[in-house]
Amino acid sequence: MPSLNAIAAWSMAGIAAVGAAVAGDPPYRAPDRNAGTPAMQTPIEDDMGRPKPLELPKDVEAKLAGIDKAKVDFLKSGVTGRYVEKDMLFDRIRTRTVEEISAYIDAMQALHAQVEYKAGRDLAAIPLDTASPWFNAWKARRPSALDPRRDPGPVELTRYVGGFGGGFATFAGAPVAMTPEDLKAGKVDVAIVGAPLDMGSGWRNAIDGPRAMRMTGGATGNDMYSMINPNAALKIVDYGDIAIDQNSTERSVDHVREMVAEIARTGAIPIVIGGDHSLEYPNLAAAADVHGKGNVSVIHFDSHYDIGRGRVHLLDHGQPVYRVLSEGHVRGSDYIQMGLRARGPDLETFGWMRNKGMRYHTMVEVEKWGWERVMARALKEARENAKKLWISFDVDVLDPAFMPGTGTPVPGGLTMREAQPIMRNLCAQNDIAGIDIVEVAPYLDTSYKTALNSNYLLNACLAGIAMRKKGLKPGYLNPVSVDHGLDAYYGKKN
Amino acid sequence: MARACRGAHTALFAMAIILASAPAQAQAQAQGDPLAGLSPEKQALLSDAAALERFGLTPEKVKVALAGRSAEEVDAYASGLLAIIEDSRFKAGRDPAEIALNPQARGWNASTTLRPKLFDKRQRADGPFSLKRYMFQKAGVPTFADAPVAIRKEDLVAGKVEVAFVGVPLDFSSGWRDSKHAPMALRGMDGLVGADADGGIDPGVLLSIADYGDLAVDYMAPDRGMDHVRKMIAEMASLGTVPFIVGGDHTIMFPDVAAMVDVYGAGKVALVQFDAHADAELDGDHRLSDNQTLTRLLAQNLLRGSDVTLVGLNGRDAGPAVRQRLAAQGAKIVPTATIQEKGWRAVADDLVAGLSKGPENVFVSFDMSVLDPGDAPASGRPVPGGLAMREAIPMVRQLCAQTKVVGFDLLDTAPILDPTYVSRMSANYILHACLSGIALRKKKS
Repeated sequence: MPSLNAIAAWSMAGIAAVGAAVAGDPPYRAPDRNAGTPAMQTPIEDDMGRPKPLELPKDVEAKLAGIDKAKVDFLKSGVTGRYVEKDMLFDRIRTRTVEEISAYIDAMQALHAQVEYKAGRDLAAIPLDTASPWFNAWKARRPSALDPRRDPGPVELTRYVGGFGGGFATFAGAPVAMTPEDLKAGKVDVAIVGAPLDMGSGWRNAIDGPRAMRMTGGATGNDMYSMINPNAALKIVDYGDIAIDQNSTERSVDHVREMVAEIARTGAIPIVIGGDHSLEYPNLAAAADVHGKGNVSVIHFDSHYDIGRGRVHLLDHGQPVYRVLSEGHVRGSDYIQMGLRARGPDLETFGWMRNKGMRYHTMVEVEKWGWERVMARALKEARENAKKLWISFDVDVLDPAFMPGTGTPVPGGLTMREAQPIMRNLCAQNDIAGIDIVEVAPYLDTSYKTALNSNYLLNACLAGIAMRKKGLKPGYLNPVSVDHGLDAYYGKKN
Repeated sequence: MARACRGAHTALFAMAIILASAPAQAQAQAQGDPLAGLSPEKQALLSDAAALERFGLTPEKVKVALAGRSAEEVDAYASGLLAIIEDSRFKAGRDPAEIALNPQARGWNASTTLRPKLFDKRQRADGPFSLKRYMFQKAGVPTFADAPVAIRKEDLVAGKVEVAFVGVPLDFSSGWRDSKHAPMALRGMDGLVGADADGGIDPGVLLSIADYGDLAVDYMAPDRGMDHVRKMIAEMASLGTVPFIVGGDHTIMFPDVAAMVDVYGAGKVALVQFDAHADAELDGDHRLSDNQTLTRLLAQNLLRGSDVTLVGLNGRDAGPAVRQRLAAQGAKIVPTATIQEKGWRAVADDLVAGLSKGPENVFVSFDMSVLDPGDAPASGRPVPGGLAMREAIPMVRQLCAQTKVVGFDLLDTAPILDPTYVSRMSANYILHACLSGIALRKKKS
């Protein structure tokens, strides 16, 4: 393992490059076309985990004296680690004849050539069937002319005066909006939209996340901590679902980016219900499209760090943060991560994250300092930035006891009583650019609790947004709900 | 998408009824044909039942929806539909024709590159090897049919393996997903070992069986990596081994059948597909996916229509249009309703008689959706009213006993959908039924 100081030296160039990209771009430009465009170039300093040169013991080097220099250099390059452990390699060299060693290296080079990408032999793209007359049908929007004419604005699906639900399940029991005109006409504060992308690497079923959250209670009504009912204080709508191509993350996220930007441009706060965590990428790209590159900071709740890179696919639910950073939508120093505890990152990548200025908060930090202090620190970091804040909330940050219905659960996570206050306070204290709640996979949970808890987190955040709108101070708790106030038990009568 | 469309057109229909009931609109309707003022192209579209079906519409519904609308509104309605047809087509420059990958990725082919023997840490003689410690206990590490493990083709050759199980954990069902966990879940479940009471034989004793592990797939793209699966399955078959492939979603049927054709030749392979769905959708934007597997096999001339027998079609994806199209190509179609009407025995006899006319080599593809959800809720695309295990077991056994089955796949089992053991045990009993059939056929010959 290299020391962190050693890492600092080689990653500064990368930070400078990203910084320059952020500074030089106009505030808005049309979305990139991910598919069909040349793949991005990963800078060498971001290529962590690349093979380290192999040092040969003196006797091994001596034994190789009669062998082609190119072959010896191949061994020294360190790429052989994929095929043979170094001690086995050394033993083989020590005990075999020069001819045998030479043939062995030949075989390894042939294997290596087979393993690595070769233009012409390996397809660098997945071809689609462009002859299909319904190539784009999956995202074709329904013309308004097909329905009876109506005024723009949110559509109530209720029948009765008395508030009895209409029977149609919507996010937070909100009315429905279908177009940006509806959002503008209704002066909508918050538009909740589903994006059922189902391409996770663990158990899948995030396709049912939006449906489960609509059909389970918990997002609606009074938040006792603030005594605010967000449904009354805010204009909230259910913006339906965003079309997804369930066989391609890349094609899906192009469209998600357009749709999230469409919401944000009306002034409404987009809340995206996933779907898997790949969505963090189009969401933040859209936020940058609308508010400008480098103008949005992020708090990423997750048991996973999601900075995977260098894979054959340019995006999956383990890589969104890298894609966001590498395209310059958000600066590394504007990224806060909370709740990390899965297998990665390794020490080298932790070093890379430090060098990018990323504020990571692991469950290790929570174990050492306690939740209250870590939460206070993260809230302070978020507020200090004074930028628009996007909250990307992967429900696997919670302990599987509270959130079993998620594709890649990791034990040892947050409790609901830790997650609710930080969500409420983040939303109350910051200018929210948008929120995503992702990786809800209800079929992994035979109970209702995954959907209920996800909805309560949504409610806490909606209450926070309403608190901010009302001008309530950070950390506000309603004095009446805090205690009965009949005596001065806590030192001061409420 | 199908579900969403249905919802939308139901809503439209409901609104249309409300509209039609208004007296003013009834009057407007009486005044004449609302389509009269449209261009011939738009008139044709709104009167064409076949074209309107795609939008969940009929000429009657269109008339109801347009009643009482102004000429401009009627024109906007038709223009909207025409625009969808136009915008749905691929347009170079606007639409990416492919999905970009990252050629910088290290180890691009590492997951599908086979490790040469030279790089084994320890050498061993070829042949399937047991993971059992005890003579009369099951292995601690679960394998299909409690069989010994084969890693390389040399193992299959040395053991003269007759049936090799292999998992292909592709997870792209167009319904609910989790078929990636099926191979693991079925290895860890009973039902695939022991005597077949009805057949009176124990396939585990009569046949040389091996578990060939899983084949690598790409979890982020269904079609990428199917060449590898095809090559590996073809290699198994070319050695005389009957591959028992455990998917994976129904996309897998493509490389499975293609591999059989690679080995036995085009026109030499018959497909018997047990499936509630025809998997014969047209005009896919992806080159391959579970609901267009049969279409692509036919389009690439890997199968002729007359080589195909579909058993157990049931539910919404097996409508008359699909059946007529496939029947016109020569496919034999036996819907679930026919089995319920005639009984499984008569149908199985009929199937065997039909297959005896050739092609000789039979590949059986068994999608879990053909079973009733009562017997197998863990199906990615379940359809109620399906076959009972009491029908499916003897049909599969008879088919495998009385025809030359060269390969079998069991697809779209999604274990997470069933918190009980029932689906997994049902799946294993289906596999066991075919194993028993193959053993019976061997015993007779």
